[in-house]
Amino acid sequence: MNILTLLIFTPVLFGLIILLLPSSMRASFKYITLLTTLLQLGFSIWMYLNFKTGEAYAGISHEEQFQFVQKLPWISLDLGGAGKMQIEYFVGIDGISVTLLVMTSLVMVIAAIASWEITSNLKGFFALFLLLDMAVVGVFCALDFFLFYTFYELMLLPLYFLIGMWGGARREYAAIKFFLYTLFGSVFMLLVMVGLYLSVKDPVTGNHTFNMIQMMNPKNYIDGSVFSVLSHQTILGMPARTVGFVVLFIAFAIKVPVVPLHTWLPDAHVEAPTPVSIILAGILLKIGGYGIIRICLGIFPDVAYSGAYWLGLLGVISILYGAFNALAQRDLKRMIAYSSVSHMGFVLLGIASQTAEGISGAVLQMVSHGFLSTMLFFLVGVIYNRVHDRDIYNFRGLGTLMPRYTVYVMVAFFASLGLPGFSAFVAEAFSLAGAFKSHNVNGLLPYWMAVCGAVGILLSAAYFLWTLQRMFFGTVSLKGGEIWKIALTDINWRETATLLPLALIALALGVMPSLVLGKINDSVLALVQFTQTVFQK
Amino acid sequence: MISLVDFMIVSAVLFCTGMFIIVSKKNSIQILIGIELMLNAAILNLVAFGKYDRINNGGQMFALFAIVLAAATTAVALAIILNVYKQYKTIDPDKIKQLKD
Amino acid sequence: MNKALPYQDIQTIYFAIAVVVLPFAAFVVNLLFFTKSKLSGWVSTLAILVSSILAVIIFTRVWNVQQIHVKYLWFIIGDNYLYTGILLNNLSVLMLGLVSVIALPVHIYSTAYMKDDAGYSRYFQYLSFFCFSMLAMVIMDSLILLYAFWELVGFSSYLLIGFWFDRANAVQANKKAFIINRIGDIGLLTAIIILFNQFHTFDIVRLFKEGGLIANSTIKNGLWISGNIQTPIIWQYIACIGIFLGVAAKSAQFPLHTWLPDAMEGPTSVSALIHAATMVAAGVFLLGRVYPLFNPAELTTLAVIGCFTAFMAATIALTQNDLKRILAYSTISQLGYMVMAMGIGAYATSLFHLVTHAFFKCLLFLAAGVVIHQIKHIKEDNNLDIDPQDIANMGGLRKKLPLTFITTLIGGLALIGLPLTSGYLSKEGILVQAFEWAEHKGSIYMLLPVLASITSWLTAFYVARLILKVFYGDMNLPTLHPGIKIHIGDGGWRYKLPLVLLSLCCLFPLFSFNPLLHTDSWLLYGFSSYKDYTENIFEIIVPVLVNVLSLAVMYYAYTIYIKQSRWVSSQTGLLYRISFNEWYIDKFYNRVVVKSVLILSDAVFWFDRKVIDGFVNLLEKTGVFIAGIASWFDRHIVDGILHLAATTVQAIGGFARRFQNGKVQYYLFSMLLAVIVVFILKILIWN
Repeated sequence: MNILTLLIFTPVLFGLIILLLPSSMRASFKYITLLTTLLQLGFSIWMYLNFKTGEAYAGISHEEQFQFVQKLPWISLDLGGAGKMQIEYFVGIDGISVTLLVMTSLVMVIAAIASWEITSNLKGFFALFLLLDMAVVGVFCALDFFLFYTFYELMLLPLYFLIGMWGGARREYAAIKFFLYTLFGSVFMLLVMVGLYLSVKDPVTGNHTFNMIQMMNPKNYIDGSVFSVLSHQTILGMPARTVGFVVLFIAFAIKVPVVPLHTWLPDAHVEAPTPVSIILAGILLKIGGYGIIRICLGIFPDVAYSGAYWLGLLGVISILYGAFNALAQRDLKRMIAYSSVSHMGFVLLGIASQTAEGISGAVLQMVSHGFLSTMLFFLVGVIYNRVHDRDIYNFRGLGTLMPRYTVYVMVAFFASLGLPGFSAFVAEAFSLAGAFKSHNVNGLLPYWMAVCGAVGILLSAAYFLWTLQRMFFGTVSLKGGEIWKIALTDINWRETATLLPLALIALALGVMPSLVLGKINDSVLALVQFTQTVFQK
Repeated sequence: MISLVDFMIVSAVLFCTGMFIIVSKKNSIQILIGIELMLNAAILNLVAFGKYDRINNGGQMFALFAIVLAAATTAVALAIILNVYKQYKTIDPDKIKQLKD
Repeated sequence: MNKALPYQDIQTIYFAIAVVVLPFAAFVVNLLFFTKSKLSGWVSTLAILVSSILAVIIFTRVWNVQQIHVKYLWFIIGDNYLYTGILLNNLSVLMLGLVSVIALPVHIYSTAYMKDDAGYSRYFQYLSFFCFSMLAMVIMDSLILLYAFWELVGFSSYLLIGFWFDRANAVQANKKAFIINRIGDIGLLTAIIILFNQFHTFDIVRLFKEGGLIANSTIKNGLWISGNIQTPIIWQYIACIGIFLGVAAKSAQFPLHTWLPDAMEGPTSVSALIHAATMVAAGVFLLGRVYPLFNPAELTTLAVIGCFTAFMAATIALTQNDLKRILAYSTISQLGYMVMAMGIGAYATSLFHLVTHAFFKCLLFLAAGVVIHQIKHIKEDNNLDIDPQDIANMGGLRKKLPLTFITTLIGGLALIGLPLTSGYLSKEGILVQAFEWAEHKGSIYMLLPVLASITSWLTAFYVARLILKVFYGDMNLPTLHPGIKIHIGDGGWRYKLPLVLLSLCCLFPLFSFNPLLHTDSWLLYGFSSYKDYTENIFEIIVPVLVNVLSLAVMYYAYTIYIKQSRWVSSQTGLLYRISFNEWYIDKFYNRVVVKSVLILSDAVFWFDRKVIDGFVNLLEKTGVFIAGIASWFDRHIVDGILHLAATTVQAIGGFARRFQNGKVQYYLFSMLLAVIVVFILKILIWN
């Protein structure tokens, strides 16, 4: 049995078990889910440990360099004169995906633990949760565009219900907004996908193919087809490849999210229950970044190259815009949501630089933000569960009431604002270094972008410290008075067991970035090499 | 001399009377009488046209057959009406609607 | 590890690692095991004791002997190999020794000073963590790691300023300190990134050694060239500005100095170690590390800013009433001297002043801590509502706290720079070289040393004011609050020992056997860039003039505060108000910078809600509107046609249905009717 297939479909299996079990056993559902995610974590760690590095395993545009590959014909229709329809179940990973997979599995465990707070309709919740789990893991593994798209869409459905059914007061609005935003992106993605399918031929079988790796080879494009590099087709007067890139980029930029396509995020986060917030911030956003690297950069490197300036600009705008917005918030969760926008801006900036430092920094930032945002949202969940309020102005002096909780908050805040020793520092520093270096290496981004990005780091210090000072320090003063004082107990062992590993991982990644960088380096170098040579004329 | 046309006129009058009774009356017995009148109009025609078959007297024969048949059907019809009356306590055909779709 | 190193060097490296790791180990041990125990103080003290002994050993082995540099691979990113390494040269071992040696008495002092505090163990955790980051920072060989520990130092300072986190002022102050330091960090990070882009390395040795990458880079035609990398010249300036921002934030130079006075909200022992002796000197240390980067014009700018900061801070210190605030401003002022010294090329003298300043300022703070502690005792014993740091409440403490008085006096004299003290040696060194420098540069630059000399007299005045107000005269409290009990004293050996140790270090013998001539100091010859100036007129005039006038100023202060025979300026004058309100800089920042950032953030949020979300909602509304039209069309037109068809059929059906009413007579009638109609039609049509 292929380990990736196992990794993807384990949750579905257990999801089915949960569906089949009678509702009288609902107390066991959370344990089953936790077991599933732990199992998955085990698989992914095994994979991480057995992942081979070296130039021969770089992946990106070489199918034979991917690892743990499984390739089976899935939909194979003989269309007579139009050739054969070739859709494969094709999964495999390279350096870019492996660390994200481990991160995903771990975040899923945390999300499963955070699901303890869910009390209504447990069967539905956990079944959807596991379905979502399958979809996100699948997205990171899929190498066939059709399969990728299937998983990508499959993700939306459970999320919509998870937000819409278990969310807060305005959950329907948030769910619809989220759904429309992402659907808007993916519908057009479908068109481009079909266009690519019709443009690319598998050199071996001579059929059209959805294989993403073959889409990365300019030789596989049929002469005169819509996305062919040589034929310069146009759509609505614009070069077809540019249109294709932009459409795919918008689809992923919504996920990342990039300003101005970000407004679903604060609403979705504020309304979503804690586990869903964790999955949203921890994993969903990374799918956007991953898609930009794997698909936008992989299939349209020529456009990414010429449009890098705009990508970088959007990245810088996201950094600053998100940070300023976070500064204006008074809802703790919303503030963290905006800080996510700001931090994910570094990812885009790093990717846009198309330097090894920048892309490594971006991937590291994704992994790091995966853990840190998980931690942050979990921490918000802790306080929200106790008093059902998270307005920053309603609390003061929590440091005296909940000392251990405050320690974790400080760790999470300082790690997020890029304190050295934690993962975000290395990630942000190298995203910026890559962005700065880009001008001398490939001339893509001007110098000032990196400097503006650095200002974002300053602003993140401002909003996090303000929150710390306002909520946690000073003398105790709570809106809810004595009742809150009793309700606000310090974190229990379950919460500690969740937070401590996250804090330690953030620390470990900061002290030993090689945990991530060692695995991704070959792939990043291959990607940089690829983007700058293969499609260039 | 009574011509064939006179017979036909009488027959037509009879027939029209019978037809009118059938269409307009609300009493089954009366309708039965109307049917009888129409039958007799037909029989009268048979007898009148019987003059063209003097060898076999087919017209006369058929008229006799029809009279017998009419008597039989009347008996049956009366029996039905009686039974209908027993069942529905009315012999107005409009009110007997149980067989209606 | 480099195998070529001889055994002793390897041992030295291990010692250096031990120096750094021991405080960290103490931090971890205290964090895990001694969270409630008083033992934590001794764990930290023991760690720093061993550290300081090792640091002194390292110092003797490395100082003027050799430079040891080892590095290990840390991680690879792209095709860059990042190393973590230890660089032991004169600068780093000097700092290593200084930090650990000063930290030791502060630790001992703290075990007594903090003994009644609920957060005793937490305090020592933070303190050990600070020592770890500071010691690690000085020996790191790579800019990125230097930056990392640079920020960790700022972080531990944040923790310690906000140590009493339930006090609103303390948490305001630590937030401010961290954010202002972050501004500097951003500058430093930018500078490091620029250097990385230019030279593709973070290695301090490769970058800054003689004939290193920086020295080989050239500036031509508006381009900064090194190897095949060409960057517009502006980025060299920005790198220097970035580093200056870093220095200004850490070392509290104008315009980023405002956090330091507020940082006095932390425990006094912390102020002594971090905000007077070590951390704030990190900026000067950094300047020492990256010195070759600066070109003459940039150095001049540095000197001007340093000089201005020194002057400004000294004027502010004149009128402050908070004991620690006065000392904080004097720290800023002295740091200004150091930065100015760096700017005028007096590299070695600047570091010399850093060292001497560390000792006497630490001493002054610890002594101030004793005073404040005792006043606080009085306050608590008698339930008074007074500010224990206000010098108006003090006076006449000379007899109650004799040792404190003497040590403060020594420290104060060193701060003023009177002969026989260490401060004299370093300060006169700076002033003399400033005059020489100005003489070389031309007339307008003469302003700088003159301003520096004026600052020196201002220093003499405020130090005299401080000592006179605190220790001389009569105590004001008994007159204001009659009947209070005063039981105060110098405290136990844990107070006395650090004071005595430090005050010994403030005297000249530690640095030079000639108490009057700064050029005889051994420390100056540890740095290659120290140029032994030829004997000239300034060597004699400057010290004499400065010191004589200083004495005059002190006498003047004496006449004001003790004899009360004259009054300098009215407390409402413009100059007084500027000084008292700290040149309104803080108010300006709060009203203009902070406000505008907040307004901007609100505006951005408004934009997010109203414009972007508004646009999304508009799209949504448009969608709903279009959908409404479509639905109307659907219901009325599309469905309408369908309904019409259905209705027609129904009507026809209904019409036909009427014939099927089950009435036999009706059937007959209609049949008849049909026959008649057909008949009539037939007749009509046929005719």
